[in-house]
Amino acid sequence: MNNSPPLPRPPRRPLDRRFVLWRTVDTLIWATVVLGALGAVWFFAEVTRPWVGPVLIVLAVVYAVHVAVMPSWRYRVHRWETTDDAVYALTGWLTHKWQIVPISRIQSIDTEIGPLQRMFGLATITVTTASSEGNIEIEGVSAADAADAVDRLREVTATTVGDAT
Amino acid sequence: MTWRRLSIRVVYLGLIRLAMSLVTGYFGVAWRDDPVWPLVLGAVGGLIGASADLSRWQTTRFLITPERVEMRTGWISRKHRTVARDRIRSVDSSARLIPRLLGLRTVNIGSGDAETSFQLDSLDRGEAERVQRELMPGRGSAVSATFSPAVTSSTAAPASPAVTSSTAAPASPASPASTAAPASPGEASAPASPGEASAPSAPPHEDISDISGMSDEAETVIARLRRPWIWLNAFRIESAFALIAPVFALHWALRPFGVDLFRTARDLFGTDLRGIVLILLIAVPLGFAVAAVAFVIDNWNFELVRTGGALITRKGLFTTTTVQRSDERTRGIAFAEPLLTRRLRVTKTKLLLTGSAAGEGGGDILPRTRLEEARDLAAQILPDGARPLEAPLRRHPRGALVRRIGWAVYTPVLLAAALLPFPLPGWVWPLPFLLIPVTVPLAAIAYRSLGHTVQDDYLVVRDGALTRRTVALQNRAVIGWSLEQSLFQRWAGRMTVGIATAAGSRSYEAPDVSVDQAMTLIAEATPGLISVMTEPPATSSAASPAVSSAGEVSAC
Repeated sequence: MNNSPPLPRPPRRPLDRRFVLWRTVDTLIWATVVLGALGAVWFFAEVTRPWVGPVLIVLAVVYAVHVAVMPSWRYRVHRWETTDDAVYALTGWLTHKWQIVPISRIQSIDTEIGPLQRMFGLATITVTTASSEGNIEIEGVSAADAADAVDRLREVTATTVGDAT
Repeated sequence: MTWRRLSIRVVYLGLIRLAMSLVTGYFGVAWRDDPVWPLVLGAVGGLIGASADLSRWQTTRFLITPERVEMRTGWISRKHRTVARDRIRSVDSSARLIPRLLGLRTVNIGSGDAETSFQLDSLDRGEAERVQRELMPGRGSAVSATFSPAVTSSTAAPASPAVTSSTAAPASPASPASTAAPASPGEASAPASPGEASAPSAPPHEDISDISGMSDEAETVIARLRRPWIWLNAFRIESAFALIAPVFALHWALRPFGVDLFRTARDLFGTDLRGIVLILLIAVPLGFAVAAVAFVIDNWNFELVRTGGALITRKGLFTTTTVQRSDERTRGIAFAEPLLTRRLRVTKTKLLLTGSAAGEGGGDILPRTRLEEARDLAAQILPDGARPLEAPLRRHPRGALVRRIGWAVYTPVLLAAALLPFPLPGWVWPLPFLLIPVTVPLAAIAYRSLGHTVQDDYLVVRDGALTRRTVALQNRAVIGWSLEQSLFQRWAGRMTVGIATAAGSRSYEAPDVSVDQAMTLIAEATPGLISVMTEPPATSSAASPAVSSAGEVSAC
């Protein structure tokens, strides 16, 4: 390890543990759908086999890695926090991404609970700004935490003057 | 302050659609022995649409308080959106034919970007007008639930469905500009072409007498069309091919009349190399000439003036285009220098405006000019007279060059490897290797383009291989930051800084800066935010997972 300059500090709050389970199941479902569809093409349309075969193998490997490694790796990396000044999040696994947006630039605050997320009691918080580059998405927060955080953000945003552009 | 829901007529509409779909579906199946597929598909589509309508009515609730607007919607996937009142930029309503017959209106609430708006689909007409009045921008927290139309209607702007976009940007001081417009009486009297952001009322001639009276709002001319610009804008790579499309169009237009243009050309010039060279010798100069004429027609009497806090561009021979840009909306300026004319120091100049749709909206402030004159003009175009585009830039680390050369080499290699397993002729897969002699020099050029700095109120970034873009953005226009670090960047201590903004193309980048440079950049441009990213994690909280794994994260 060389003595490289310090990275931005990670935000304070980790995700809910159930994030790992949720992302594993989610990835498994996608893998089944995509590989199933391609597998059906491979099985029924013999002409396409030389073309679909290599794609199928590569995708199978990619999905295997995703299911085995990605969810827990992401769980170790992902952090988020909302303060009175800013929303700050760190996401990614192979590529890390820090994002920060001051409260005065927030345009809308969304909570979304997908069907699978509801089964695990999780929610996704999205903070949108006038630029989609500035949008921050925090996936896999426990529904209760999300409600608290969004309530707080709502209060802070309403009292912070700013035209968000 | 109660949660309200959509109009009950949405349900009626849904039921009507449901009934119609069922009837169509029945006919589709029972009409003939075989199902009539278009009818069946239409019925299925109608069923899905109707159930979507019904479930939307069932699940949607919205709330308007003095501080904010909220909406909950969704059944399988639940969504809850909150927008603060003072962020709302536009409220408008619209309706398609059948919902309108039922007295329904869709209300769109916009807070700047298209995707951040939300839609109330649909409300009763009266309810829609009430919501529009309640949400009129600028009437934010002061409004205390005035539901009686009598109170508000006097102050509300025309409640027609076109309240949008006029409020999207701070109103520019347009009136002095429009009255002072015709500087020389003989010209610029043609009607402003529609579609551009033209001055509100076409300048009538009577107003000329007023100009002397309002000398404080006098126009200062920044630039007029200069003759060298014609050549700079005509001699470009696209011009050489300017004739291709018209020739093809002519060919296909003449075909029905028995004239085969291509055969005539073949007969005239032959099909050997000499003929092709001959055609090129005629076509390419002709292409340049056409481009030159088109440029002159477009930019006839081009004039860029500043008056009363706004920039006004007037140009055009047959139709005079007048574009007005308020100084309040200016957030920066950018140069784009194409690679082929880099030696000639030719650049295009763009103004970064906020409050306009991404990409378009009066960004092109000057045609291609020489870099030296563009720099002088830029200083006059910016309201504060700054010259940020000339600031000396900080170089990016050497590793950025290695990374770019890496891309230049391994992209073709990977492409070749990806072609290998497929049943293609044997000579196909090595083809990507031919790209390497092109991509490696481009990688070096791309690295030399990289640079960034902060000068006074401006953040400056430069990058690009085929077109080198230098962007100067005001610090106050920075919405937020994103720092991205791939696995390799992490090992080398570099990161890519993304700058989110509401102006220009909405996001800019400083690729591959060192971590130190990234933090310095953020600290200089937005001093308030850097403290959030560097302050040590709170030690008081016993939230051990956060603290312990914080070490993990920075260690890996």
